[in-house]
Amino acid sequence: MEQNEQNLSHKERQETKREEKINKQMEEKNKKKMQSAILWTVITVFVVGTIGAMIALASKKSGPQFAGGTVKPADASDWVKGATLAEAKVVLTEYSDFQCPACGAYYPMVKQLGKEFKNLAIVYRHFPLPQHDNARPAAQAAEAAGKQGKFWEMHDMLFENQKFWSVSPNPEEAFNIYAEKLGLDMEKFKTDFKSATAKTKITSDYQSGANEVDGTPSFFLNNQKIQNPKTYEEFRTIIQQAGGAL
Amino acid sequence: MKSLELLSSKLAAPSNKFSFGFLAVSAVGFVDATYLTAKHFLGEPITCSILHGCEQVTASEYSIMFGLPVALLGALYYLSVLLLITIYLQTKQRAPLLLVSLLTLFGFLFSLRFVYLQIFVIKAICIFCMVSATTSTLLFIFSLTFLKKNKTNNTPEELSV
Repeated sequence: MEQNEQNLSHKERQETKREEKINKQMEEKNKKKMQSAILWTVITVFVVGTIGAMIALASKKSGPQFAGGTVKPADASDWVKGATLAEAKVVLTEYSDFQCPACGAYYPMVKQLGKEFKNLAIVYRHFPLPQHDNARPAAQAAEAAGKQGKFWEMHDMLFENQKFWSVSPNPEEAFNIYAEKLGLDMEKFKTDFKSATAKTKITSDYQSGANEVDGTPSFFLNNQKIQNPKTYEEFRTIIQQAGGAL
Repeated sequence: MKSLELLSSKLAAPSNKFSFGFLAVSAVGFVDATYLTAKHFLGEPITCSILHGCEQVTASEYSIMFGLPVALLGALYYLSVLLLITIYLQTKQRAPLLLVSLLTLFGFLFSLRFVYLQIFVIKAICIFCMVSATTSTLLFIFSLTFLKKNKTNNTPEELSV
């Protein structure tokens, strides 16, 4: 009897051992199944997610990111280059400071845009920053040259020589030299330089952008503020998307 | 499939860590190529600020092969590698590895051709294409290590697992 009991318990023990083994195997199998399911889920989510995200990213208009409000439309009081306001499809308005280095860096880009696009009008508005001592006199020089029909010529001259006159304690000397180079009537230039008309024009330009311009240069595409493009190509694309024709 | 398995039995089995590295690199390639494909079909010029030339390269005549955009072929290539490595991780069979090493060889050769075209023919570099060239080169180098016969891993016992 005793022996029988012992036998049974031995058998039982064996049984439980086997059961444990099977359970363990099952567990292992389940674990593997789980791992496999997780891996496939991750891969599927990744692939589908990537496709979705990339389609969204690619279809997002990379173009004009309007970043603020608007300024008053260009009119006859503005300096306009390229297409005339009447025939232009796209008007690019720049608020700029002749002394600001970033404006100097954008100058060749804007000039190139004007050459490349047929239906683009470029408008220049003064935004001389208070911390730039020579910016306002430079704007006056451009205005004075404008009185003799050479605003853009002076504008180019000022940007191209920015590093010379911007550090000068007496920039007027430099401006006079540029005016002479442009063949201006020097008497008239000197009078216009100090005239109230020039100063008023600069102040009214400044005020027209005061609410929207948070740094120079600031660009407005058809009067709407855009984020400054980082490259020429980006700039070009933005104008193309707005309807600019090469 | 059986003969494929036999053929691939000569390949060394990569460790799990290595396989996940493989997955990561092909994932990067997949994201990159998918972006280019989406751009191709949604038709906006690709602008990249680091290196100029994305537009020229992706709009060039070389961006189409067998009537399909190269970017799409690239995306499918990375997707195949991704799936094959996942299958390998699941089954531990080596046939997918053999396919992967073949695919990466082609991927590498195509990348060589595209880099050559960019530098010498189109004369413009597209940064997204260079990313893809890098990932496909990495995948090729990775798959070369399969070919190093690993004796300890090549026992029949290992194979039956």
